[in-house]
Amino acid sequence: MSDSNSTVRWTLNGTEVENEAGMTIMEAAKVHGVDIPQFCYHPGLSIAGNCRICMVESNRSPKPVISCSERIAEGLEIKTQSEVAVDARNSVMEFQLINHPLDCPVCDKAGECVLQDHSYEHGPDRSRFVEDKNIRHTKELGPTIDIWGNRCIVCTRCVRFCDEISGTGELCVVERGDRSVVDVFPGVPIDNSLAGNTVDICPVGALISSDFKYEARVWNMDKTSSVCGGCSRGCNVEVETLDGFVKRLTPRENLDVNDWWMCDHGRYGWRHLYADSRLEGAQHDGQAVSPTGTSGALHQLLSSSSSTAFLVDPFMTCEELHLVRSIANSLGGSTIAGWLPAAGTEENFPGGFKISADKHPNRKGAEHVLGGDLFTTSADQLKSALSNGSIDTLVAFVGGDGFEGAGGEWNDLISKAGKRIVFATQQGSWCEGADLVIPATAPLEKEGVWVNEDDRAQRTRSCRSLTSNHFPSELVVLQELQVHMEQRNRPLSAAGIFRELSEASDAFSGHSHSSLGDSGSPLSQRPAAMSSEGGQS
Amino acid sequence: MTVTETLAFSDEAMKKYEWLLSRYPTRKAALLPTLRIAESEFGELGVPQMKYVADLMEIPPATVFGVVTFYTHYRRAGVGKYHLQVCSTLSCALRGSGDVVSRVTERLGIGVGETSECGLFTLSKVECLGSCDTAPVIQCNDDYHEGLSLEDVDALIEQLRQEAGKGGA
Repeated sequence: MSDSNSTVRWTLNGTEVENEAGMTIMEAAKVHGVDIPQFCYHPGLSIAGNCRICMVESNRSPKPVISCSERIAEGLEIKTQSEVAVDARNSVMEFQLINHPLDCPVCDKAGECVLQDHSYEHGPDRSRFVEDKNIRHTKELGPTIDIWGNRCIVCTRCVRFCDEISGTGELCVVERGDRSVVDVFPGVPIDNSLAGNTVDICPVGALISSDFKYEARVWNMDKTSSVCGGCSRGCNVEVETLDGFVKRLTPRENLDVNDWWMCDHGRYGWRHLYADSRLEGAQHDGQAVSPTGTSGALHQLLSSSSSTAFLVDPFMTCEELHLVRSIANSLGGSTIAGWLPAAGTEENFPGGFKISADKHPNRKGAEHVLGGDLFTTSADQLKSALSNGSIDTLVAFVGGDGFEGAGGEWNDLISKAGKRIVFATQQGSWCEGADLVIPATAPLEKEGVWVNEDDRAQRTRSCRSLTSNHFPSELVVLQELQVHMEQRNRPLSAAGIFRELSEASDAFSGHSHSSLGDSGSPLSQRPAAMSSEGGQS
Repeated sequence: MTVTETLAFSDEAMKKYEWLLSRYPTRKAALLPTLRIAESEFGELGVPQMKYVADLMEIPPATVFGVVTFYTHYRRAGVGKYHLQVCSTLSCALRGSGDVVSRVTERLGIGVGETSECGLFTLSKVECLGSCDTAPVIQCNDDYHEGLSLEDVDALIEQLRQEAGKGGA
């Protein structure tokens, strides 16, 4: 007996199973580990039911039904591997491939192509089609999107995305039958902040990112599960690199943050990692310092300082900020303040996606580690201390993509400190005349935890870009400084520092890198019974 | 028909359009009949006309573009004064629509999908016109010409030419 009428009992491949009422056959089958192939279906979009690849045999229909839109019902019997179902899939595959070119060797989608996978699994090994294939347009649809019309199987995922998620409606299917293909209205290109997602959801190589085109074969790239540093939303991303060079960013599914999507600002906003102005080595009074000597030079400057202030930025991870706090504490009488270098505007989309106006990925985290008045009262106090000349040594952090000239008032104030130490990603005005310049890691190169605007802690991982391999990260330099100061025996990993932070701070208590995992967790949701176990890293 | 810079529905057409809106659940649902109005107002549905309809109905122009290109029966830009649509589905095909197409091609010197140099005729092959009992059928603009023999085709072309001549085209 079902405990309520919200549960449905049905039969899947001969086994009686139960699922919540209202689920589609495809969703319910997935719960029981049965994957049904799909082209047009996407969990984030409306159901179109036009590709027919998901057909299964049903006891309620003389013909196979499409499992993406058909819902489960009491007594329904579904077979996904019967002759009828397999035959249906094979026939659909043969139709899908009639006009599809065999250009996988030069197609950017190859290796992550749904059509390729399904063709391998369900398709015929040769074509019976002897007629000429249809030729359709290959052209630019917008500044970042190209279409190879011949490859299009008209699943309309991209069209539905533009209608439902971005709400911009630039795409449509033109013509009909085997001439139909995705297009834009003449003179109205696809140009919205979410356009890049249409390439991700294209199940074939029809929509291609002009940014990634011909850049790499997808199976050769290394993938790092990280978090976008473009705004305080903290979209989960996959950073894909080839030989230490980032080739592209793709969104990573996280239904609590970004669903399946990410914005184009984040997607294409990684080129600053390889900017010509990028700092790759420390400099002490204009002289190069070796990577191993950086912390020594830092220690030397700080130990002779009578009063020290730290100016942190909200791109730093909670671990780095925690290290700054303990260093400042042991120096005694030093102050910490934060500055907010980036500005932006908020964008909201009908599909629920939001691009935050706050362009700082760890503003919330910085406030948790160093106090809620870090960017307000503390900043004002540091400003006045700097202008009366009462700061002997200033340690300033300039993360992100450098933010040349974004400092406003700070630009003039920082030169009023007796000595200046700058951790910077790029050569800029703050580095000029500094006593010690130390190269800093940029977003996507950092290892640690960021807290997004919804108070959700998420792990950002380093994609180990070639640039950041040339110098020790701030996390290492700051810990080596602690070794010099006899506060620490040896440097730990980011996970180790986070454990220290979670023990020291109420906001983070109970959390660890392993409990945060790949998708993060709201800070208020403490993992159950982790504290007594310990030993996480 | 030349495209003027400022396209707009006449008052009468606008009244008809507003009446249409009252008969459909959503604005977008009234697209097909609205395009019919635009067609009769502007003579053809080219890029500026589609844009006008999209702006009027407050829907993305791409949606209008997709709908106009999906159907064969809208007059797209570049279509001649007389749009000869030859039905080529089963009944008509069995009753010789292939020969009808060849005959038109022969007489006018245009292939399927082409427009004659004089700008009068466009030839299309279309799917079922729903007049199987009187196959083969040509739809010329809004009129059906049914049960055609090849001589009838010649006569039709001749008649249309005379009509165009009289109209001072």
